[in-house]
Amino acid sequence: MLNRRNFLKAGAGLALAAAFPARAAAGAGHVVIIGGGVGGATAAKHLKLTNPALRVTVIEANRSYIRPYGSSEVLTGHVGMDDLVVSYDALKSKYGVEFVFDTVTGFDPDRKQVRTAGRQTVAYDKLIVSPGISLQYQAIPGYSAAVAETRAPSGWIPGSQTALLAQQLKAMRPGGTFVIVAPPNPYRCPPGPYERGALVTEWMRRHNPSGKVVILDPKDSFVTDATMQLGWHRLYGYDIPDDYLSDMPADVDNRGKPSPIEWVRAKDGGTTERIDARSLTVTTRGGAVKADVLNIVPPMKAGKLAFDMGLTDASGWCPVDRRTFESSVHKDVFVIGDASIADAMPKSGFAANTQAKVTARAVAAQLAGRAPGEPVWGNTCYALAGSNYGLFVADVFRLKDGKIARVSDQRYLPLDASMAKIRLGAAYQQAWLKTFTEDCFA
Amino acid sequence: MGTLMKSLVFACAALAAAIHPAHAAEPTGEAMAATCAGCHGTQGRLGTVEFMPLAGMAEQEFVRAMQDFRSGKRQATLMGLVAGSFSDGEIEAMARYFAGVKPNAAK
Ligand SMILES: Cc1cc2nc3c(=O)[nH]c(=O)nc-3n(C[C@H](O)[C@H](O)[C@H](O)COP(=O)(O)OP(=O)(O)OC[C@H]3O[C@@H](n4cnc5c(N)ncnc54)[C@H](O)[C@@H]3O)c2cc1C
Repeated sequence: MLNRRNFLKAGAGLALAAAFPARAAAGAGHVVIIGGGVGGATAAKHLKLTNPALRVTVIEANRSYIRPYGSSEVLTGHVGMDDLVVSYDALKSKYGVEFVFDTVTGFDPDRKQVRTAGRQTVAYDKLIVSPGISLQYQAIPGYSAAVAETRAPSGWIPGSQTALLAQQLKAMRPGGTFVIVAPPNPYRCPPGPYERGALVTEWMRRHNPSGKVVILDPKDSFVTDATMQLGWHRLYGYDIPDDYLSDMPADVDNRGKPSPIEWVRAKDGGTTERIDARSLTVTTRGGAVKADVLNIVPPMKAGKLAFDMGLTDASGWCPVDRRTFESSVHKDVFVIGDASIADAMPKSGFAANTQAKVTARAVAAQLAGRAPGEPVWGNTCYALAGSNYGLFVADVFRLKDGKIARVSDQRYLPLDASMAKIRLGAAYQQAWLKTFTEDCFA
Repeated sequence: MGTLMKSLVFACAALAAAIHPAHAAEPTGEAMAATCAGCHGTQGRLGTVEFMPLAGMAEQEFVRAMQDFRSGKRQATLMGLVAGSFSDGEIEAMARYFAGVKPNAAK
């Protein structure tokens, strides 16, 4: 592995043909994007839509994308791993985006070049980086990447761990416990661990009726917590904690009986101190919890590439100018998506998609010698409490005093929403997986 | 009675103005429209049926729909929350943008 110093040097001293981008039309130039995930793909498409004369190159480690959003549905067999695969063909054929399938391993900000593991050097006028997250396995004593690949998967970057977790759930003994260790803030997809818990609970009602889900949490709340718990209550007989009861609709009736889904908050001792991979035991502040299947969503930071390129600050995320997402560290380098520090915006695909568009317009404007326009971003995250029970958080964000602020006041499905709207929410969630993928990749 | 009605209407209008103030700097219609695309298709040109395609929609229809979402007159799951974040002028700018986009050919 290269350390940061070597990483920076590895890019230097290699001026190949690609180092001289052609500047054909006015306002054109070469925009290089590292990472063909939600942020990178959307930026590539939007740059081409904004100014077809731009040369746009995406450098991506994998030949196709595996989408994280909707990936918990693999656990319940609602979709297979293949259904998560997204092709880059449309970006190439419809929009003329160029692709280099390789891993970026070197960066020379002075010469404005990046270098890949395959020893290619690519020069840029503007560089957009959307590397996603890195999972901090080692932050939990007893946990590691090796344990995640074999015993206690995380499945938060979809791939082999997602498939392993699905397999483990299917093979779980009758009456077993599926434990989810939720992460501390900030992390990718805030409602995600709780939606996963709900979908697994629903699955077990049919396939392992005496099975149980326990969510161990280092936090006391999460986004959509009231609407999600209301769904758990209605669908699975979950008892809503006292501090959420006052706002609940009239049909809520706690039974005081054990429920197949349990949420153990920090204040109830839910914070994980360590795990034992061999016995699948989680030691929390409140005591030991024995799992039959252990799904750990560890703390997160910006993708490793962001560290290697020196784009992170002490928080482990990337500081940016909020109007354009240009890095506060390196000029002409922009960081978008989960890796960036975006104040009130969550680390979600929807957020990454709207960041990519704002940044694409800003980059195109800069190359044309114009000032970037007024930004606006959005986030709509649908989530499921069951396959026919939808909920959401919807936000609009604007620039306020140099920070990104939420301007919408109401954010959630009202607690007294009709069942018709709740079912519609679930239908929209499924539809969104499709329309969103198209907006990013096709 | 007439005066009371009038002043009520006025009060509501004033309230609406307080809730939906014009923003200091306004994004372009195109920039705002880009935040709709995750559900309504790139440039509003949705080729499937789940959400409303916005490309080619008459300006008035768009403005009316957004205003009715905002006031709650029109039922919605989440459009009420989204519409509440845009001023009248911004809604009009989005309407002009979408009206000018060629709709997706029916699939
Ligand atoms: C279970 C789950 C459910 C979710 N559900 C939702 C949802 O309902 N709605 C929603 O909005 N979001 C959801 N998300 C979150 C969403 O998937 C992420 O926020 C989004 O993918 C972030 O985009 P990104 O571009 O920052 O990173 P990514 O999409 O992860 O893309 C990063 C890309 O960079 C590439 N890369 C990294 N390093 C290098 C390198 N050195 N060289 C070359 N390439 C590199 C990677 O291969 C990858 O393709 C969910 C996530 C999970 C895990």
